Amino acid sequence: MLRIVNFAHGAMFMLGAFVAYYGAQLAGLPFYGALFVAPVVVGLFGLLIEVAFLRRLYGLDPLYGLLFTFALVLVIEDAMRIAAGALGSPYSPPPSLTGATNLGFTLFPTYRLFVIAAAIVICAVVWYVLERTPVGARIRAATEAPVLVRALGIDTQRLVSITFAVGVALAALAGVLAAPNQNVEPTMGDKIIINTFAIVVIGGLGSIGGSVITGFAIGLLQTLGAVIFPAFNDTLIFLLMIVVLLIRPSGLFGSPASAK
Amino acid sequence: MRLSRSLPAALAIALLSASFVAPPARAADSGPVKIAVITDMSGVYASLAGAGAVEATKMAVEDFGGKVLGRPIEVEAIDHRNNGPDAAIKAREAYDGGADLALDMTNSAVALAVAAVAKEKHKLAIVTGGASSAVTGANCNRYTYHYAYDTYALAASTGSNIAAQSNGKTWYALVANYAFGQQMLADFGAAIERKGGKVQKADLYPFGTTTDFSSYLLAAKNSGAQVLGLFNAGADTVNSMKQAKQFGVDKVMKIAVGLLFLSDVDALPDVFAGSRITTSWYWNYDKEARAWADKYAKRMHGLRPTDIQASDYSAATQWLNAVKAVGTTDADKVQQYLDGRQFNDFYARGGEWRARDHRVLHEMYVVDVLPKEQVKEPHAWFKVVQVIPPGRAFRPESQSTCKKDW
Amino acid sequence: MTLALLGSRRGAVVAIALAIVGLALPWFVYPVLAIDIVAYALFAVAFDLLLGFTGLLSFGHALFWGGAGYVATILIAKAGAPFPLAVIAALAYAAIAALVVGAIAIRRQGIYFAMITLALAQLQYFVAFQLGDWTGGENGVQVSSRGTLFGLRLDDDKAFYYAVLVVAALGVWFVVRVVRSPFGAVLGAMRENEQRAVALGFRVDRYKLVAFVLSGTLAGLAGVLFAVGNRLSGLDGVDWHTSGKVVIMTILGGIGTVFGPLVGAGIYESLDFFVSKTPIGDKTNIVMGTIFALCVLLFRRGIVGELLAIRARPKGAPPS
Repeated sequence: MLRIVNFAHGAMFMLGAFVAYYGAQLAGLPFYGALFVAPVVVGLFGLLIEVAFLRRLYGLDPLYGLLFTFALVLVIEDAMRIAAGALGSPYSPPPSLTGATNLGFTLFPTYRLFVIAAAIVICAVVWYVLERTPVGARIRAATEAPVLVRALGIDTQRLVSITFAVGVALAALAGVLAAPNQNVEPTMGDKIIINTFAIVVIGGLGSIGGSVITGFAIGLLQTLGAVIFPAFNDTLIFLLMIVVLLIRPSGLFGSPASAK
Repeated sequence: MRLSRSLPAALAIALLSASFVAPPARAADSGPVKIAVITDMSGVYASLAGAGAVEATKMAVEDFGGKVLGRPIEVEAIDHRNNGPDAAIKAREAYDGGADLALDMTNSAVALAVAAVAKEKHKLAIVTGGASSAVTGANCNRYTYHYAYDTYALAASTGSNIAAQSNGKTWYALVANYAFGQQMLADFGAAIERKGGKVQKADLYPFGTTTDFSSYLLAAKNSGAQVLGLFNAGADTVNSMKQAKQFGVDKVMKIAVGLLFLSDVDALPDVFAGSRITTSWYWNYDKEARAWADKYAKRMHGLRPTDIQASDYSAATQWLNAVKAVGTTDADKVQQYLDGRQFNDFYARGGEWRARDHRVLHEMYVVDVLPKEQVKEPHAWFKVVQVIPPGRAFRPESQSTCKKDW
Repeated sequence: MTLALLGSRRGAVVAIALAIVGLALPWFVYPVLAIDIVAYALFAVAFDLLLGFTGLLSFGHALFWGGAGYVATILIAKAGAPFPLAVIAALAYAAIAALVVGAIAIRRQGIYFAMITLALAQLQYFVAFQLGDWTGGENGVQVSSRGTLFGLRLDDDKAFYYAVLVVAALGVWFVVRVVRSPFGAVLGAMRENEQRAVALGFRVDRYKLVAFVLSGTLAGLAGVLFAVGNRLSGLDGVDWHTSGKVVIMTILGGIGTVFGPLVGAGIYESLDFFVSKTPIGDKTNIVMGTIFALCVLLFRRGIVGELLAIRARPKGAPPS
């Protein structure tokens, strides 16, 4: 939406997981607490980066934003590797969510049910805020016609900063949700960032609904693909991307105006 | 204003001059005897080998007396950064700079790359940490030895041990789809079948991008197989283990982890508790092992050595013994001395430098990873359940694929 | 500015200075490292043809570098092909791949273009991984002998280095010719204002595709030199981190300055190698990342760019 390609999004995801881990280690922060603390901490960090660095690059070719966030990935991941080691840090789901629930047709880990529910709720809230509230309208307007919006007296710079920080906070939240399921290690963001790019391209840049739906769809496809033809599961998402780009360049749900 | 003009220029000049480098020094044959420890100092294997491996090698040199053939012994630490071409360049440079032995090479790709350089330079390389059995198979050469473990040994130990029991016959395998995983599947499959068992199903999942193993684990749980075999490494092992427990797979199946080290359990004890694995050495196995581990702990602030770090000490010592016996560091002569030689030390019990393919034989140990409550002292994670003698632990000579050209 | 430089006497001086450094290099650094430096230098120049002169940022150039490297080493190691044949086959692969990737990616612009190139490079990465029988999977392909070229034994590292130097010099010369040709002028016009170029009747997409193919093929050539030089090709070559590396080198040296990427490559590789040997060696990524971040923020013209700007600035005038 902001036309910022944040390569460091995956790194923010990783930082969210680590805030949860360190919070637990150093301050006994429980999982539910981490769900609030991590996004705030990492979101503020993202805000700092936006204000101090990214702002200087807005007037330039967008490629500089991409390159800066790429450099950021190198620095953040290496810093975490030095701090936490490359092997991984343990993080467990909260006691209230351990174990499995009997769904009738299968036993399913309770924690995963929580993640599914949380993901749906969070996506719905974000979509609602952006599409159905005045604040969301302003944000969308600010990305599509910034000069006009400024002429109306609205501080677009502040909107952009806040939106960026919220984006980062959401990534961190995803990281906290992922921590009990995965190995919490510095490169855990690497694997998802490229898939994330592909999802956004397929779903359509600028369309939140598109990203959400595509995200869920790809997740389903990959899980199914894991069982049916595992060998080429990785390439599935890229092949899909190529097909979508050839047939419908603006993405499945994107508007042609954003196709540039 | 002026600062912003000259600063970039100054930076440019500083960077340019920083990258101008001194020529590599050349050491004469009468100079120090050098051991180059090529290991992962900062990545995923840093705790398994890394600084501990370098320290162990230094201990070996000190205990040997610091000198051999009247020449001082130097240990050089080289970070291979898990990068094959990088490691090959550094190995070449080390050999050209007078290194007589390359040691460790924890990482299969690095091990194979350095083995090729050793062959080219006619200098010895002893691989301790790499897993690939290709080092003594398709890529065998006169100047490379494989010291610690390989995929065959893991399979022959864990696989045989579990499949020998009545509740360990049917297996479900979760396999990382790359050379290591596929090799583990092949080796384990054979070992299991030798004991009358069978791998019912093997799921080969895409390596490097899979973090969610739920579909495979559910399938495994519902398959009715008695054992879940995890034929992967690193983060995959952690993730699949974690998720296996989440799905309650460990309650209905025995979990065999193909590859695991003491350092992994140190990092994530809860995850691995209850699994059965194979190691080439355990610090708390007996008095002899413990004695060395105590010396190591004194130098490493209480940390206990992994089997790889111990193997580096052992290999360095055995090599130095050979050099002393032969009276030269010449690789050809040392290799002829070592081939077929039997030896024993705190690490390699019943050791032999097998001449057929340069596979070094010794005992292997099947161990269970204890849950925290049962651990009596820090780092005492393992309980040895079976000792596999050298003759059975490694690929028999008759099955070796090494095309011996020496 | 650079174009004027290239034709001027000063340009010739810079070229001669670089030539001297190039000729002397293997006597100062380890020859195989020197080969790496020159190979990366050619890679960066090829990349800059696309970025600096056509205005297209590709984040998947490792596709050509690593892919061509694989083709050449597989042919030499598994089919016993002679070196020249392996090079030609690898170049053909790079050219065709560039044609395909370019045709798909050029449909979009800017960030989209970059993401598409990245995704396609990842596609090749996974394919290379899966075809383990050919590519050796994560172990890579090892070449025991580089073979001979016109009777010259390429296994001698210094000899191979000079062969690499000659090829790289030809590559750079080729890029200079392209940039200073009418074709290059159109590229420049497109970069400055694409709509105007379209209005003037130029088939902009076709020009972009040609530039992409040239860039990709040259990058492939650099990749062959690197892989055969190291006698090893592996997944690193097709990994997106390598694509990122060449971007860093180009920006560090200076986009659109021809010599900039050469300098950037040289500095990056040397720094990378030697920092890794110092006590802070395990922190090379942070060092490189920070330098890169600083470049993007403050020294966007890169080292050579900044040096050129200083020389070009008339005395007493405020810095632009």
